[in-house]
Amino acid sequence: MTQTTTEKAKILIIDDEEVVIDSCLQILKGGAFEIQTASNGSAGLQKVEVFQPDLVFVDLKMPGISGFEVLEKVHALDSTIVVVVITGFATVSSAVDAMKKGAYDFLPKPFTPDEFRLITRRSVERRRLMLEAIALRREKELLREQFASIVSHELKAPLSAVQQNLFALEFELEKAMTEDQKGKFERIKTRIGDMLKLINSWLRVIRVDINQLKVGFKPLSVADPINAAIENLATLAQRKGIQINFELRDLPQINGDSLSLSEVFINIIGNALKYSPDFSSVTIAAQAEDKLVKVLVRDEGIGIPSEDLPHVFDGFYRGKSGQEAAAGHGIGLAVAHQIVQAHDGAVSVESTPGKGTTFIVCLPILNV
Amino acid sequence: MTKKLLMIDDDPDFVAGIKAILASGDFEVDVAYNPKDGLRALEAKQYDLLLLDIMMGRGAEGIMIARKLRKNPKLREMPVLIMTGMREQIAFLFPGEPVHPRFVDVDELVEKPVEPKVLLEKVNTLIQTAEAKKAEK
Repeated sequence: MTQTTTEKAKILIIDDEEVVIDSCLQILKGGAFEIQTASNGSAGLQKVEVFQPDLVFVDLKMPGISGFEVLEKVHALDSTIVVVVITGFATVSSAVDAMKKGAYDFLPKPFTPDEFRLITRRSVERRRLMLEAIALRREKELLREQFASIVSHELKAPLSAVQQNLFALEFELEKAMTEDQKGKFERIKTRIGDMLKLINSWLRVIRVDINQLKVGFKPLSVADPINAAIENLATLAQRKGIQINFELRDLPQINGDSLSLSEVFINIIGNALKYSPDFSSVTIAAQAEDKLVKVLVRDEGIGIPSEDLPHVFDGFYRGKSGQEAAAGHGIGLAVAHQIVQAHDGAVSVESTPGKGTTFIVCLPILNV
Repeated sequence: MTKKLLMIDDDPDFVAGIKAILASGDFEVDVAYNPKDGLRALEAKQYDLLLLDIMMGRGAEGIMIARKLRKNPKLREMPVLIMTGMREQIAFLFPGEPVHPRFVDVDELVEKPVEPKVLLEKVNTLIQTAEAKKAEK
């Protein structure tokens, strides 16, 4: 998948002085390089298209099109090609300009063989790393998609069928079962239910590609993802007799991704429900404050001890004390944190053990 | 009167579980394990309710059926219980629409697996609601 080290690096040298070209060829002789040359910018650019070099050396001062223009045009063709500019003596400012325009390094004339070899080595390595990063990113994306599909079909669907049949069996045998047998069913259903929740949690996490998130941002009201989250958690809230109160006040729009923000609120409000006693209430308040939309999720639950507070958003962390929570929330809060950060927002938590916990999500208001 | 139900879902074990629960009510349940057979069944017989797996196969093939129902004036009136693996997948497939898009006149979304009492309650309610709507016309 990535370039093997036995492949020759391709180098193009563009310089109007034959002397420079000859000495470069001489210095690199015997190395694992495939080298082509050109005596002016236009010829050089033509060669770039055909030869597809890894590295281009270009003299800044040439008749015809300048080295700067060559630099620009090479990167327009392929931004991963490494360009090193050869500058005249005492023109460091041109070199700095070139680097600001995308050149990787500069080589002032006259240069020693060692200087030339060193720059060549570093530049070739740089290209190799860039191509490797691109390949790895692509691979990761493919794996992520495949993993989501595999988890859904090979793990979740069969488990779902198992649980459905368990429900059916319990329903049929309800009247004939002893208390002990009912207990067995409850235990099995609970464990399978936990596994399903964990799988769902993982699927939601996999689906969020943090790097691509900003690309899909649209103006929206934070009330939408909050309402979606509340709807998602309605059954759980009902089962525990917990009242969810949602107060919103003058909400200006933010720029973001509705689906991943729903994920954030599913995790935070879900967390509030899990750690709340039955028949308590969870309050969500959203309002504008300075340049931010601030959302507070307050519960009346057991709270989080101060020593656990700084770790709440670490992946895999689940507080040592307190009630058993359904599996999966360790990951959820860590992802929620990443998503909020991708929105240029911040999430924090305050808690009083025994009294309750408040999660605070701040998101910047959209500047129209 | 026995109500006629059609279930379209590609997982035979899951279907068996649902059928077992529905057996306790006054229902006659036909099954189609793929969209093509499902559409054929809908054309051949009049059903009081459709149970539809929206995420059939690898490409959410159930959506195709839902769209066909929407376009057919007669089938539109039939209530549909939409079954999904994950509620959010609906939002994923219909970006911009609320989490419960109305495919047909009377429908509802449930997540798999479905608890027996919930299943029976929703099936009965959907059938009653659809019948009431039809009576209004």
